[in-house]
Amino acid sequence: MREFHEYNPITVAAYYLCATAVTMFTMNPVVIGISLFASVINYILYAKNGIKPHLFSLVLFVIMAAVNPLINHNGMTVLFYLNDRPITAEAAIYGVTAAGMTVAALYWLRLFTKAMTSDKLLYLFGRLSPKISLILSMAIRYTELLRIRWRKISDAQKALGLYDDGNLIDALKGRARVLSILITWALENGIITAESMDARGYGTGRRTSFRLFRFRMRDGLITAICAAATAIAVIGLNGADVVWYPSIKTTLFEPVSIMGYVGFGVLSILPIIINTKEAIRWRYLSCAN
Amino acid sequence: MTVIKNRAVRTVLRYAIPFGAIPALVILGATVFDEKRYLIISFGVALAAIVLFMAGIEKKNIGSRRMVLVAVMTALAVIGRFIPLFKPITAICVMAAIYLGAESGFLCGALSVLISNIYFGQGPWTPFQMLGFGMIGLIAGYLCEPLKKSRALLIGYGVLAGIAYSMIMDVWTVLWYNGTFSPDLYLAAIISALPFTALYAVSNAGFLILLKKPIGDKLERIKQKYGV
Amino acid sequence: MAVFELCELSFSYPNSAKKALEKVNITVDQGEFIALAGPTGSGKSTLLRLLKPELMQNGDQSGTILFCGNPIGDLPPRESAARIGYVAQSPEEQIVTDKVWHELAFTLENLGKKQQEIARRVAETAAFFGIAPWYRKHTSQLSGGQKQLLNLAAVMVSEPEALILDEPTAQLDPIEAARFFDTLYKLNRETGVTVIISEHRAEELLPLCDRMILLDHGTVVYDDAPRAIAQRMDKSSPYLPYLTAASRVFIHSGGAGECPLSVREGRKFFKSREIVSGNPHSPSATAPPGKEDCAALEMKDVFFRYHKDGADVLNGLNMTVNEGEIFAVLGANGCGKSTAAAIMTGVLKPYSGKVKLFGKALKEYKNGSLYRENLSCLPQDVESVFLHATVREELRGCEEIVNSLPFDLAPLYDRHPYDLSGGERQLVALCKALKSNPRLLILDEPSKGLDPNAKERLSELLRKLQSSGLTIILISHDIEFAASCADRCALFFDGGIAACESTSDFMCGNRCYTTAASRMTRGILRNVYTVDAAAAMIGGDRS
Repeated sequence: MREFHEYNPITVAAYYLCATAVTMFTMNPVVIGISLFASVINYILYAKNGIKPHLFSLVLFVIMAAVNPLINHNGMTVLFYLNDRPITAEAAIYGVTAAGMTVAALYWLRLFTKAMTSDKLLYLFGRLSPKISLILSMAIRYTELLRIRWRKISDAQKALGLYDDGNLIDALKGRARVLSILITWALENGIITAESMDARGYGTGRRTSFRLFRFRMRDGLITAICAAATAIAVIGLNGADVVWYPSIKTTLFEPVSIMGYVGFGVLSILPIIINTKEAIRWRYLSCAN
Repeated sequence: MTVIKNRAVRTVLRYAIPFGAIPALVILGATVFDEKRYLIISFGVALAAIVLFMAGIEKKNIGSRRMVLVAVMTALAVIGRFIPLFKPITAICVMAAIYLGAESGFLCGALSVLISNIYFGQGPWTPFQMLGFGMIGLIAGYLCEPLKKSRALLIGYGVLAGIAYSMIMDVWTVLWYNGTFSPDLYLAAIISALPFTALYAVSNAGFLILLKKPIGDKLERIKQKYGV
Repeated sequence: MAVFELCELSFSYPNSAKKALEKVNITVDQGEFIALAGPTGSGKSTLLRLLKPELMQNGDQSGTILFCGNPIGDLPPRESAARIGYVAQSPEEQIVTDKVWHELAFTLENLGKKQQEIARRVAETAAFFGIAPWYRKHTSQLSGGQKQLLNLAAVMVSEPEALILDEPTAQLDPIEAARFFDTLYKLNRETGVTVIISEHRAEELLPLCDRMILLDHGTVVYDDAPRAIAQRMDKSSPYLPYLTAASRVFIHSGGAGECPLSVREGRKFFKSREIVSGNPHSPSATAPPGKEDCAALEMKDVFFRYHKDGADVLNGLNMTVNEGEIFAVLGANGCGKSTAAAIMTGVLKPYSGKVKLFGKALKEYKNGSLYRENLSCLPQDVESVFLHATVREELRGCEEIVNSLPFDLAPLYDRHPYDLSGGERQLVALCKALKSNPRLLILDEPSKGLDPNAKERLSELLRKLQSSGLTIILISHDIEFAASCADRCALFFDGGIAACESTSDFMCGNRCYTTAASRMTRGILRNVYTVDAAAAMIGGDRS
């Protein structure tokens, strides 16, 4: 089953950038509502890593929503007074909207981070610059290697009795010694890597960049749908405005704005649509067989 | 824009970005998204600057040895970002810059941010951070002779880099929060970030002193032995 | 046509009066499989690097090297990269990129090949080498053997005519090494690639190769088929360790008739000969030097696992090491040997079971007293103990130990530890490990990557240390090395000890996990596991 995240990284990256950008650059409560709902659903379906990130988001949401009415006293509809300061409905609604925007954007970015694994990032950079992508690839490898080596060295030092973590100073000294050994190891052995690169023709001329991902028709199609939905959303939402203070006046439900909402709605649940379609096809295929 | 294969296209791009894409972003930001135009403008500018730099580096001939050393330093910086509170990333970028050249410093800073953000979270802040640490490395590379000689200058650079980086990132915080730049909010942001800035500046200086000799001597030896 | 023609080739490094290579003449024909042997520092690596223009070093060179009839220096860079493949010793450091598929494509990317062509070459190479199952893995997740196969495959994608390998299996365990040789042999037979390999594993390699070149002091000593070389050597030749056990027995016994190479031929040879003496030494009768009643280290029902829900790595391990003996723990990679070592040294803690050192539980050694005058451990990668820029600083405080060694380390004092050869590094690290004046020394794979002479020296050194009262635990997969110096051997398998006996009982009792001499003489001679013993029992031709 080809899930949304198995599409070409360009498609996936473009999708999340569009969704994040539209969310971030609008203060339209309807759009933010859709965005928040869709991003949370997408996140639950894709990331599947427990309740912790949601709790963090909830706390952030509550704090951010509460801060605005406490420091901003504009607005006509006074709800109550706190220390002789008016708490207004307008400021409260603005606060909720702004908090929703931030949290929704955060969810989209989390999804983006999760989807853009190192090999996908490398693919994007490989298209941009083969040389930079090679350095990136090497650096990612070294990051892993250094982590493993750090452990080995500190174990070796311990077993030699050179690494004493009895008190803080000794522990820091021990760390510094491990770090020093690690740096020597990495730099000295790096030369072997460099020779291996030379031996295999690095620097003999222009490099190409081999890619596992292919940009197929369907990637193009999804990218196009994504672009079209974003365009419709941007055009449609251009007229939809909210004047917050002193009292809320909106032009949120013009026909052209409705079109914008539909556009953004399609954009925000695109992964769910694709995955559902694939799931149905699989069920159909397994029944047919 | 994603495929930059031949030199002609790349040359066109080098001019198209500053003279075409950036003004276009400015106009777009000013008309379509008037709420947060400064944010999108600055985002676009940061991204464009990084792409420009990298296009410049792509054209250069980097030897395999320098390449490996840059990758090792980048990986060290990435690992360094996982240390809580005290982060040696600046010190490592500066080391890479003064011993391996300004471009290496830029790459070490920018790429280590990109890689570590795979774990810490990518976002609109990524290009800003990349540019920030990249610049710290780049400038250190241009100042490499004095920085190598004088320990005081090195400490000064570390402290200054820490403060400057925090102040620039605060601009971004204000833009993100407020949409436009406001001096009051900026001041508030700077003040609230003061403890972090101070810690950051001090740890930069500390790591620079601590790492100067081990990393510096080792890089010098490698450079001599293998003729980088 | 000849692939390589070396004519009167001499080479010397800058700042060195001694020539690294002197008037070397070698012709390598298309499709040959050549083993290059010789002690460390004999010029093997120098010679191999001269055959690969990218790795050319600074120095004075005279004489000519022709590649396919043309001077090797005239080869355009891309052609030289594609047509001459080079694989070096360390599996880890040769890998450049983070993913297996990317590593395979790396050479072709550098050569500027198109997407489709890379896809095709990578696919066929991965299929040939059996890499497909780990094609998308991170390179850091592979085992040493897999890494080295990947390095070989990554070189083969550009379809080189000649393959140059510099001690490619030095860091691998015997099983991984055997797989590597098999693949190499298959490549040579099925694609006709010319192979030049320098290697210390004569036992496995020589039966496969067409020709053996023996270098010493920069000159070619022998250049012929391995069998022919063995036939020309005599008992006193210093190059005997570079031959297989069967050939050595043949030479020791006088060298009449056809020289055997492999264990199989060796058995045939023994069957054809008369056995003179009944039992030259009955090792099980002589008591091992360890004191039976005094246990240096005792492990009782030790269980260990890395994660709460993981599988047991140590599965009720019971082991007793007597004071004053050399105890070898043998076993394949991944059987839990290194984990056991980490438990012995207190780096890891078992979740059940007892570990006692000199009669006292490990945890009763307080404030690091365990590591002062009691126990010391030398890790597999000895580089992990080097901290300074010169050997002199490295050995500060170890003067007494250095002076007691039968070797002179003084010439090494001003060098960087990473500039030393494998054997020298091992020695310096050993001195550091002995600095704390331990009673028990644990060595993890000390013979890895050493040439036969260095192994012999190390084995003598361990004997000497033992005679001064040190107990030594040797963790290794090098059976021949264990046979040369251990008093008792244990076979580690599946998280426990499957067999533990005196070395002679162990080597003679095992069928396949034992020395080549023991495998050759099984059922023919009794209680024989060394070449010398086997040779002493051989008489004239039976027929």
